[in-house]
Amino acid sequence: MNTILFEILGAIATILLAFTVGMFYGGARRKIIARIQNRVGPPVYQNFIDVIKLYSKETSIHHGAMQHMGPVFAITASVTSLMFVPVLNGGGWFWFDNLSFSGDLIFLVYMMVFGSLGMALGAGQTGNPNSAIGVTRGLSQMVGYEIPFVMSMVALMTQFHTTSITGMMEIQAQSGTWMMFSNPFAFITAVLAMLGMFHYSPFDIVHAPAEVASGPVSEFGGKYLGLMMSSGSIFAFVKLTLFVNVFMGGASNLIELVVKTFALYMIPVLYGVTSPRYRTEQAITYFWKWPLFFGVISLLWAAF
Amino acid sequence: MNSLILILILIFGGGIISFLLNKFLPILRDAFVVLVMLAISYLFFTIDHAEQFDFEIGGISLQWGFTYAGYLFGIIVAGLGFLSILYSTAFMKGKDRLGYFYMNFLFSIGAMFGILMSRDLVSLFFFWEIMTWSSYFIVIYSGKEVNGRGLKYILFSAIGAYAMLMAIVILYGFIGSFMLEDVFNSIYALSTGYQIAIAVLLMIGFGVKTAIMPVHVWAPDAYSESPMAYTALFSGALSKMGVFGFALVLFNLVSGQNWLINEIVAWLAAITSVLATFYAVIQKDAKKLLAYSSIAQLGYIVVGLASGTYLGVMAGIFLAVLHAVFKGTLFMAVGAVERQAGTTDMTQVSGLIRKMPWTFFATLISIITLAGIPPLGGFVGKWMLYEALITSDRYYLVIMIFLSSTAAFLYSYRILFGLFLGQEEPEFAHVKEAPLVMLIPMLLLAGISVLTGSFPGLVMQPIQEAMLVLGFENRLPDMDWWQLTVLFNTWGDKVVLQNVMISIMGVFLVALTFITIKGYKKQRYVTTKDISSSGEIIQPEDNMTFQIDFYKPFERAIWPMLKRNIDTYYTEFGNGLEAFFDFVKRIYNGNGQFYAIYVMAFLALLLLAGSEYFGF
Repeated sequence: MNTILFEILGAIATILLAFTVGMFYGGARRKIIARIQNRVGPPVYQNFIDVIKLYSKETSIHHGAMQHMGPVFAITASVTSLMFVPVLNGGGWFWFDNLSFSGDLIFLVYMMVFGSLGMALGAGQTGNPNSAIGVTRGLSQMVGYEIPFVMSMVALMTQFHTTSITGMMEIQAQSGTWMMFSNPFAFITAVLAMLGMFHYSPFDIVHAPAEVASGPVSEFGGKYLGLMMSSGSIFAFVKLTLFVNVFMGGASNLIELVVKTFALYMIPVLYGVTSPRYRTEQAITYFWKWPLFFGVISLLWAAF
Repeated sequence: MNSLILILILIFGGGIISFLLNKFLPILRDAFVVLVMLAISYLFFTIDHAEQFDFEIGGISLQWGFTYAGYLFGIIVAGLGFLSILYSTAFMKGKDRLGYFYMNFLFSIGAMFGILMSRDLVSLFFFWEIMTWSSYFIVIYSGKEVNGRGLKYILFSAIGAYAMLMAIVILYGFIGSFMLEDVFNSIYALSTGYQIAIAVLLMIGFGVKTAIMPVHVWAPDAYSESPMAYTALFSGALSKMGVFGFALVLFNLVSGQNWLINEIVAWLAAITSVLATFYAVIQKDAKKLLAYSSIAQLGYIVVGLASGTYLGVMAGIFLAVLHAVFKGTLFMAVGAVERQAGTTDMTQVSGLIRKMPWTFFATLISIITLAGIPPLGGFVGKWMLYEALITSDRYYLVIMIFLSSTAAFLYSYRILFGLFLGQEEPEFAHVKEAPLVMLIPMLLLAGISVLTGSFPGLVMQPIQEAMLVLGFENRLPDMDWWQLTVLFNTWGDKVVLQNVMISIMGVFLVALTFITIKGYKKQRYVTTKDISSSGEIIQPEDNMTFQIDFYKPFERAIWPMLKRNIDTYYTEFGNGLEAFFDFVKRIYNGNGQFYAIYVMAFLALLLLAGSEYFGF
């Protein structure tokens, strides 16, 4: 009984941490974009206000069971992936390792697409053509960026003979070298793939406000949108923590984690703020050019 | 009486009787075929593994009996065979020539049992041909484009059969025995060239049924033209005979020695799966989409087998069993849509989810399994396949498989959206849920997909038995099937399936309760016409459907890969042959006087040149 309670407590603490960090990052992004565009911008805690407002709103319509469950699928995927990613590497002030020993990278790659597919089903039932267009764009783009991402992961797996995240963190702790230095091309490939993974400009074809009216989310308001925003923040934290764990040796305390993840987070944000949106096929083929090239090199690097 | 013989007599006799029943007592026909299949399944599941049947025809001794490998595939045939027969009693209601249909249906099931129980090459070839012909008769059942599609199927099957026959003859010439055991034992005495030739010839034969590139072109048409009740079996079980054959060849004829063959087969299968996936993405018809998807999935299976590692073979056979389960369900579900709504063209039909909720549910479960999303069974197979390839250092093969399975998400969504989601069209307002007899097989199969996600031991333990026959050691821990829930790779990394299931279900239920409790009573359902549209009010007659050119941007992105289509090469080859035969026809024009001129010309030539070359 004690252990089950401890597990649930750990899960809740981790979710709260991820939620808070993700929300603040979202706010920081809005602020940074505003400053670059020479606006004042909303305060950093604006996303919290938005979520609380959305949860407290009344939702008066629904389009059926799948639409009702769409955001639930999304948050299930985010939280479950969060459970399988170790937050800190051993010790620190945060002593929950949740389920990080029960799954490996391949599992995580699959778990991370669960949410988008569930969300896509929800968006599909609404019947809004913009949602469906957004979904087809998102899925097509996923084929683009998943390939370089998996290439870099496979390169690391074959180089270090482990597929688990905890195993990779141990190897980095023992050798003292971060994996972004022991296989630099894998890191470059993964960062390029990350640009697409975050769906920020220039890869924001899914939500493209001026083209498809926010795409998949256009029929979701109130509590649904609130749940999806929370899911999005948790998911951003999951992706960043995963990258930090795999490439930067993880973090030994929360401050280090925040510094590292924020530095990584700035890459897609700053890349995006200066670039206009790609067309859909450009956003797909982008990942089949330089990222693929670097991916092949990283695999060769791993082999020899 | 020997139960092997009893099974064969029951099924072939049952086929003929059902044909006659349709003539004289059509009321009893449906009940009869279901009962026959039930009896056969019962006999099969209670069979004694040591049971054998030896006999001699014309001086050739033949032997029948199930090995564990054959038995494993037999489980697919018996299970899926029974369920698809049950399904077809409702699906085929009101169609004509049902005696013909059921006879060939039962014949092909019988032929598959025959293939799996035959321990010599002669009966293997004999049953293989029965399977080919009975399936061909069902492919042309609809009577449409018999010369095009049916001919393509039978032509490629014939090529495969001749290749197989040639291999069998060569083997007999060297070894002097048709017994599989003798062949496996003495194959290594042959020279390497003959070993490779025999393996390649046999693999062409099996590859045609597995639809591996470049002999896959018959499959999309044949799968989508047959009645869906049969296609469930066609794609689910009949193509697995090719997989069974591949397993025999790869582990008994070329094991270890000719690693190059393994690599070539694996790469061919991987390329097949990528290209077939891309073709599946751009299809408009749900049946065609599933047909291409079948080709792609069989590609994974063969990659797993050809990898030759323990985990890879386990993954390949696991995926083979699961493919029978989920593709069977999907073809049945599409068949249900075809029967209820009249079409499976995704550009026409849409928004059936509220009319056919149970069919949608079965489709959803099978699609999740197909896509390999945790926590269902497909994930287990995919995970083992990836880990097998990564741990045996086949990086580029992994990337190919990954490309194919990521692109598979596209068509997975396409079929769910195209048939069940999207705008609800008024012309499909009359559609009703499929009858219970059709729903039961679909939901049972979907249940297996769910069960194997948390308890893969249910399937993995029979596979382990089969792999012992194929020459692998036992690596599964000694426990009951419901205890086997942790997957390991050779590097010691693992996935704990029960934790995955608990985590997903726990979070899902909490979030669902949370979102449902909050103000659910005040929410009302609105139609798909009641959507946000930037201020305009959508009228009931406005067309808001998005189904045509669904993945156009993706199509543009992958266009360079699809430009070269192997089908056009075959067509061009065929055209070239036709032109050649036209030319030949001008010489052999059937006119006796022309032939007389040829004879005269030849004689004249002989007289003129003869003295120089032949000395007269």
